[in-house]
Amino acid sequence: MSDRDQRLYDLTQPPSSVAYLREAWRRREFAILVPAQDLRAQNMGTALGQLWHLVNPALLVGVYFLIFGVVIDTSRGVENFLGFLIVGVVLFHLTQRVVLDAAVCISRNLGLIRSVQFPRILLPAATLNGQTAAFVPALVLAMAAVVATGERPSARWLVLPAVLAAQFMFNFGAALLVARIGASVPDLRQLLPHMFRLLFYASGVIFSVEAFVTSPAWRRAFALNPLYDVITCARWCLVGEPAGMSVVVGLLAWCVAMPVFGFAVFRRSEQRLGG
Amino acid sequence: MTAVEGAVTVRVSDAHVYYRVYEDPMAGLKQLFSHGRTRRRYRTIRALRGVSLELHESETLGLIGANGSGKTTLLSAMTGLLPLESGSIRGRSRPSLLGVSSALRPALSGRRNILIGGLALGFTRAEIESRADEIIDFSGLRDAIDRPMRTYSSGMRARLHFAIATARIPDILLIDEALSVGDEEFRRRSAQRIREIRAAAGSVVLVTHIMSEIERHCDRVAWLDDGVLRAVGEPSEVVADYLASASPR
Repeated sequence: MSDRDQRLYDLTQPPSSVAYLREAWRRREFAILVPAQDLRAQNMGTALGQLWHLVNPALLVGVYFLIFGVVIDTSRGVENFLGFLIVGVVLFHLTQRVVLDAAVCISRNLGLIRSVQFPRILLPAATLNGQTAAFVPALVLAMAAVVATGERPSARWLVLPAVLAAQFMFNFGAALLVARIGASVPDLRQLLPHMFRLLFYASGVIFSVEAFVTSPAWRRAFALNPLYDVITCARWCLVGEPAGMSVVVGLLAWCVAMPVFGFAVFRRSEQRLGG
Repeated sequence: MTAVEGAVTVRVSDAHVYYRVYEDPMAGLKQLFSHGRTRRRYRTIRALRGVSLELHESETLGLIGANGSGKTTLLSAMTGLLPLESGSIRGRSRPSLLGVSSALRPALSGRRNILIGGLALGFTRAEIESRADEIIDFSGLRDAIDRPMRTYSSGMRARLHFAIATARIPDILLIDEALSVGDEEFRRRSAQRIREIRAAAGSVVLVTHIMSEIERHCDRVAWLDDGVLRAVGEPSEVVADYLASASPR
């Protein structure tokens, strides 16, 4: 070893979590601008082009409006059932899209992972940002629909950003967890749609848990479901449905615990990603 | 030894890289969540088995060897993309692998892909915008830059990749079979980039199967065979030995 070697540092040592997050933050534009370009690329070649980002959520809301607003009446126990339904559907779809997309964000970028050294957390973060941005038109439409069903903006609407922020943090954690597991166990992709179907019913998206679930034990179980917590709090804001303390506490716990747990799992053997 | 006498930029010491191929994906899942040792249920592929190598200032090192001999693995390990089983790799800066092609989006224009590729390489948007003209000029695609990349020929694509990937002249550049694509003009430009790196006292590692490229660019050649270095030295000698071993007897 010569004296010149003192300037050489270890290239194979993974960075500390602090250095890792600092580097991820320095490169944050990747997780914002790349998904923005992808959203643009998504609908290229279609007749409606970028309009699809608006038409798609409108159709989503429209289908539920047709079935539950016009054809049948399942509104037992809810004053403004249509508003109730639309808020639930739109928020549920956001988390579903983030998580399903996160499950493939590593495998889709294997080439990049194998050729460029960068904090891999940027890939699930890009997924989260892209899907969240694509969700904004749906949210605007949902709020317009809620007003169209007779609700008037109130002070409660001011709480909505906090609920959405909590959902964003939960989605981030879930995306990290699913991205890491999906990279090691591709079977997850087959499983996830079924998990979401179960969650769909367990989140009271199309019915009022208050009115249909009578067992107190089951009601407590619903409060443990993060999506039920998100949707119930958002409904409290927008359509004046009741939201118990257990739901608020549940949401707060999820939006802190999920990113921490997701980050810990994601960082574990992250170096092996793509190997 | 050879005539290269510059300071060491990268020192690879007795590097071992093993790939674990899980026969049972559940084992991979368990390992992710458990803290203790899990039962081993994987096959181990020894991609590098004790490689020691030094890179020097102002040097271009050629890396040759049959398919599957560990050339790409060695490059990946040098960038820190792969964990070592044992040994060490130390360097004065992090080598960058030439390759952003996987980040690029064929549906988008060349100009937008410059943004995407630059971000993947760690540039900020402002840095990319200030260099965009230079990148476009270097790629020689000024007329086609606003067309979707999927309309490019493979040579045009390769030029754009190379222009993005070398937008920042790295101190240590690793090239994995990138130069063989593209036309004569592109080869001239890429040779120019390599000279610029060497002029700035950097190092280049060039992996290729084309021996004329080795002779054109390299000061030394390393021959990898099944994860072990067979020879390091004068290009003409090592290439001759390699060709003799590869040709049918």
